Amino acid sequence: MQILTLKEINKKYDQAKDFAVNKVSFSVNEGEILALVGESGSGKTTLLRLIAGLEHPDQGTIALGGQVIVEGKKSVPAHERKVGMVFQDYALFPHLTILENVLYGISKPKKEAEVIAKETLKLVGLTEDHGKYPHQLSGGQQQRVALARAIAPNPRILLMDEPFSNLDALLKDQVREEIRQIIKMTGITAIFVTHDTKDALSTADRIAILHKGYLQQIDVPKNLYENPVNPYVANFFGKRNELIANPSEDGFYTSFGYIADPEAKKYKSKVRLMFRPEHAEVVQREGQQLTGNIVKVAYFGSHQLVKISDEQGYSVSIRTNPGRVFDNLGNAFFYLWKYDIEEAF
Amino acid sequence: MDLVKRKFYWWNKWIGYALLILVIVATPIFTILFKLFASPGDSWSHITNNLLAGYFQNTLLLLLGVAALTFLLGVSTAWLVSNYEFPGRKYFEWLLILPLGFPGYIMAYTYVGILDYTGPIQTFFRNTLEITFKGSLIDIMNLPGAIFILSITLFPYVFLISRSSFLQQSKTMQEASFLLGAGRSKTFFKIALPMTRPAIVAGIALASMEVLNDYGTVKYFGVNTFTTGIFRAWFSMGDATTAIYLAAILMVFVFLLLYLESVQRGNRRYSNVNGLSKPTARIKVSSGKQYVYTAICSIIFLVSFLFPFLQLVSWVWLTYAKVMDAQFLLLIYRSFGLAAIAGLAVVLLSVVLLYALRLSPFKWVKSVTKVATLGYAIPGAVIAVGVMIPLLAFDKWIYDTLLTARTAGLFLSGTLFALLFAYIVRFMAVGYNPVEAGFQKIGIHVNEASRLLGARSTKTLRKIDLPLIKNTLLSGVLLVFVDVLKELPLTLILRPFNYQTLATKAFDMATNEMIAESANAALIIILTGIIPIIFLNRMIRKRDL
Repeated sequence: MQILTLKEINKKYDQAKDFAVNKVSFSVNEGEILALVGESGSGKTTLLRLIAGLEHPDQGTIALGGQVIVEGKKSVPAHERKVGMVFQDYALFPHLTILENVLYGISKPKKEAEVIAKETLKLVGLTEDHGKYPHQLSGGQQQRVALARAIAPNPRILLMDEPFSNLDALLKDQVREEIRQIIKMTGITAIFVTHDTKDALSTADRIAILHKGYLQQIDVPKNLYENPVNPYVANFFGKRNELIANPSEDGFYTSFGYIADPEAKKYKSKVRLMFRPEHAEVVQREGQQLTGNIVKVAYFGSHQLVKISDEQGYSVSIRTNPGRVFDNLGNAFFYLWKYDIEEAF
Repeated sequence: MDLVKRKFYWWNKWIGYALLILVIVATPIFTILFKLFASPGDSWSHITNNLLAGYFQNTLLLLLGVAALTFLLGVSTAWLVSNYEFPGRKYFEWLLILPLGFPGYIMAYTYVGILDYTGPIQTFFRNTLEITFKGSLIDIMNLPGAIFILSITLFPYVFLISRSSFLQQSKTMQEASFLLGAGRSKTFFKIALPMTRPAIVAGIALASMEVLNDYGTVKYFGVNTFTTGIFRAWFSMGDATTAIYLAAILMVFVFLLLYLESVQRGNRRYSNVNGLSKPTARIKVSSGKQYVYTAICSIIFLVSFLFPFLQLVSWVWLTYAKVMDAQFLLLIYRSFGLAAIAGLAVVLLSVVLLYALRLSPFKWVKSVTKVATLGYAIPGAVIAVGVMIPLLAFDKWIYDTLLTARTAGLFLSGTLFALLFAYIVRFMAVGYNPVEAGFQKIGIHVNEASRLLGARSTKTLRKIDLPLIKNTLLSGVLLVFVDVLKELPLTLILRPFNYQTLATKAFDMATNEMIAESANAALIIILTGIIPIIFLNRMIRKRDL
């Protein structure tokens, strides 16, 4: 069931030239975790603030839990939306204790509220220090308090603005998993904003990609990665190699050799063959393969990147497993097992 | 399925309150501006024929003289304390700000007393050296005298701002200049001074604003300026329209000054943007030079604060038994009460204005609310006139519509309400700026978080925003309190009949040849004024270090 629906949302800021959010429509299903991904200035945080009621769109409607909350010049004010939000800087109230912070949003009799607050704090892993003030906690603990405060009033949807950006790399993997578990345990619907594709791929059920205010694609991680709808989305998830190719009746001619492909006859002029480093394989034997010279092997621990260049010095990168040994730089063979064909220019 | 009530997104009650406050606070200012296009009063031709040229000349000379002298005093001392190490340097950093606590009019008659026949200097010469002067030692009751008095009370503005600017200049910038072969003086004139120019001009602009506001000093010294002209037209000639016209011209003066200041500042940002700059290390010079520097700062401090301060103290010592009666205590109580109410009102209104701005989705609201702070640039006498016109009109309206002649009287004009209203218009900026800084410091996210947790804007203000900016609110009240306590021209025009504040009492006594007695009220004003100065200095130091 859809819990949140955005229709044709436009938003332009006072002094800005371009729209921050441009004709964006999408829905979020109950219990789902959606990641809004994009570069800075892509409109992802604006979108979050529009859903929260902290900004008002120029056009479009928003419905939450079956109620239209934004339409035309009217909207339900933020304090009546029952939307939970975790801010990037956490925005904990510095003059209130941890417990008081979490109690703030629970509109229940005092005793009942305290039980809920303590349970929520326990859920996020804070079993003590409830009487401390925010500045006495570490960054990671502060984030847990912010999460607890947001989910304690049992909101209809949880919004998180860059929840992982303030954490160091080692802590990040662990926190991502924990937050996912907490959200799934409460069954709450969540939307989070991030600029890091790794956050999105590992945490979200679905991912929406924004670019210059436009929604590019919204889908499950695997589909986005494997079947991007356009070059922007494809490049967003990592570097792709590019081969200029001339189409013939049954294949492509490239500077590394010939690739047999019946698709080629659809194209009249030069095309670009785009492939990810992991979508190619370096092989031993000569055959139906492309050929070039290995100019560099870079070791990354979990994998290696082999740089292969053609006769003119143009090179592509191919990923291999870290155990493979390349004794001598020099002649090498490789083939592509997956690539996208894009019109050149 | 539309269960939840939707409202217009741009409206909340705070916007309504803010608009109401803005209209009320801006009314006096715009009244004056509109009157500029009305025809002047009966005595206008008399004024243009006989007085206007003199007003113009005196006001301009006063402005130029004070600008030059405050520049000299302020920049030299600021350069010394921020660049050199010498005995007492640390103390001069705040001692040289203390003159700000001296209202110009008190400084004026204190100096007249010091230089008088019975004053300490002549007495010393007469009794110890047996030299007798004829009349006053130096006649300072003239234009150069007024320039001197206003400069020694106002140079701390230039000192403060340029010191802060000198401290922000990076050490590497000066070192680069030295390495390129420039000496100390060349570095000062070619690098440090030009970089500080926007700050210095801003300081001088502040001082100039105070010069245009001054009534006590020029009145006491018999120098006719626009401000005294307004008083003369209002009180002596009873010609309100002419007073308004003069006030309007003076306001044009002020806006011109503000405009020039903003033009010179332009887009230039001389401060270091990379944030890596280290504060300039102070230079150790030969002990001979050190004593010269200490001497320069000491003399300026003695002349601008310590001498007149001690003079006041000694007068208080002589007269307190006579002056400090129950009536005087009542006067203190009432003055403090009035100033405290004004301070609270200003801060309360500032909070409403700024909270509306905080919640508003529109950027232009910011420039609109700024209108409320215009009063600080406008001389007190002008504001007094601007407050008087609408209140008199209101009284007349009430009289015409509701009442018979028998019960007629003053309802708003000529009451404490008028005075309070004028204080609010004049000192809005003094409370507004700290509150604005306070809100900025805590950021908008705590407010948004509270509202998303279901708290209405009013509850959010009460539970989150206000507790977080408590200290700023207090300092806002304090700053307005002190300004109101020493305010003179506006109070003289708008006070209810026979009503006295410490400031008017001191001024009245001094002009009635009771200088020594007036020192009691003056000393209270000055001592109260020193408190926020020390606060201010701490704030600047914290920002710099």
